[in-house]
Amino acid sequence: MLELKELEVAYGEVQAIWGIDLEVPEGKIITLVGSNGAGKSTTLRTISGLLTPMRGSITFLGEEIGGKKPHEIVARGIAHIPEARQLWPDMTVYENLELGAYSNHARAHRDKTIQWVFELFPRLAERRHQKAGTLSGGEQQMCAIGRGLMARPRLLMLDEPSLGLAPMLVEDVFRIVREINSEGVTILLVEQNIVNALSTADWAYVMETGKIIMEGPGRELLDDPHIRGAYLGV
Amino acid sequence: MTDLLSVTVSGLLLAGLYATMSYGLTMIYGVMKIINLSQAGTFMLAAYVAFTLFTYLGLDPMLSLVIIVPAFFLFGMLLQRLFVSRVPLANTPTLPSLLLLFGIWLVLQNLAYMIWTGDDRSILTSYTYSTINFLGLQLSFTRVMVFLIGLLALFALQAFLTRTYTGKAIRALTQNRPACMLVGIDVDRIAMLAFGIGVAFDALAGTLMSLLYAFTPAFGNTFMLKAFVIIVLGGLQNYYGVAIGALVLALVESWAVMFMPASLQPAIAYTLLVIVLVLMPRGITGLLEGRRTV
Ligand SMILES: Nc1ncnc2c1ncn2[C@@H]1O[C@H](COP(=O)(O)OP(=O)(O)OP(=O)(O)O)[C@@H](O)[C@H]1O
Ligand SMILES: [Mg+2]
Repeated sequence: MLELKELEVAYGEVQAIWGIDLEVPEGKIITLVGSNGAGKSTTLRTISGLLTPMRGSITFLGEEIGGKKPHEIVARGIAHIPEARQLWPDMTVYENLELGAYSNHARAHRDKTIQWVFELFPRLAERRHQKAGTLSGGEQQMCAIGRGLMARPRLLMLDEPSLGLAPMLVEDVFRIVREINSEGVTILLVEQNIVNALSTADWAYVMETGKIIMEGPGRELLDDPHIRGAYLGV
Repeated sequence: MTDLLSVTVSGLLLAGLYATMSYGLTMIYGVMKIINLSQAGTFMLAAYVAFTLFTYLGLDPMLSLVIIVPAFFLFGMLLQRLFVSRVPLANTPTLPSLLLLFGIWLVLQNLAYMIWTGDDRSILTSYTYSTINFLGLQLSFTRVMVFLIGLLALFALQAFLTRTYTGKAIRALTQNRPACMLVGIDVDRIAMLAFGIGVAFDALAGTLMSLLYAFTPAFGNTFMLKAFVIIVLGGLQNYYGVAIGALVLALVESWAVMFMPASLQPAIAYTLLVIVLVLMPRGITGLLEGRRTV
């Protein structure tokens, strides 16, 4: 569905991604893990069009999308739930969700999608008229995921959705991700919570300083000595 | 007593104009984080267009709004597309953006000198000196109409910002730009529309001013400075705050007339500005909201 080939990305003069290859097959949950500053968020930002690739290609459903504008990429069915939620704090939960369905194909199904989001997150339905800036951290994360779903994506990319959440809520987030996937949405998940990410994913990529250093089925990587040593501290 | 009442009522009427002339500035600041220094040029140009339509076609300025406002909406979008969109993005106003917009103001002024010369102009309608009786007060008909048109425009803006997708996108872009890009908002298009709407509002204000004041090509700068004071009072990008800021400035200015010589009146806005910047940097609404957790 999505394929990155020899992708290189830089912030001005500073290169952050050094030629990565990555594939996300339709219907799967793929995870991208790695330590701070490895380049995970940069990869997602490039796919969603916030950054322009320096070299290499990004194809989605057979079409080159590298360098296209973000709104063109959303319209093709990719939603990106960014690091740190990035809600509109002075707008209500409902307005945040509504704007999630901004692109034409999503707007047509807006009311149906909002029903679905409220079923996934009953908490959001209760707080629909509350300003997003006044939600708790967990609720903000739900709102961010809900907003991403409002775009009716075929591919949903999540950047550290479990960051800063209490352990119980972390479990919830991973359960929701699996639930969304079971509805037919392909998932690309960036995480620092390696155990949960690897056990949820069909296939995992491990990133270090702008390169992919390892890949494999999630559960197999969990048993890999390098992973256990470097990320799990065992 | 009637003195205080009449001064207060005229302050309220003035607040309508003050709010109208500040919304454009706040919208453009909110969406692009630039201070539109060409605003005074739009006030002036709209006043001259109203003057020309009135003098040569006999069109009443209040009626000519239906031509002027859409025309300046297009003009604003054109300015944004051609010039403003080329200024690098930033989170606070940058020198290049200020210079560019100041330059546009100068060009507009010179254009006006060429077309209309530097002579004082004013618009004298059949109702310029009419008054209406309200609670025993004699109010200028023009000022009441200016207030009502301003109020109507504010309600229209409010409805647009809260009810339409484009209006919501403008508010969203004010609060978080990357998030807008990620939900598929064409942020360049929204910035262009917002600049057009801002300039259209300035043109509305300028046309209303042409009914109240005499003007030359240099007209508008005191009003632009007041608009700046008002949006700082209001917290820069808060629409309710702007309405409150306009009310505060207009009332303080009106009341002050009772205590101090009129020649000092222009200083009030700047004194208020200094007080606000020192004591409440987030504006009046910042105080009302208290601390917010974001
Ligand atoms: N806006 C930016 N300007 C310049 N360099 C940046 C910028 N954002 C990130 N970088 C650099 O790019 C590299 C990759 O950053 P990135 O945010 O993609 O890492 P990450 O894997 O998402 O890390 P984390 O887990 O901490 O979120 C880092 O070295 C970082 O310093
Ligand atoms: Mg990151």
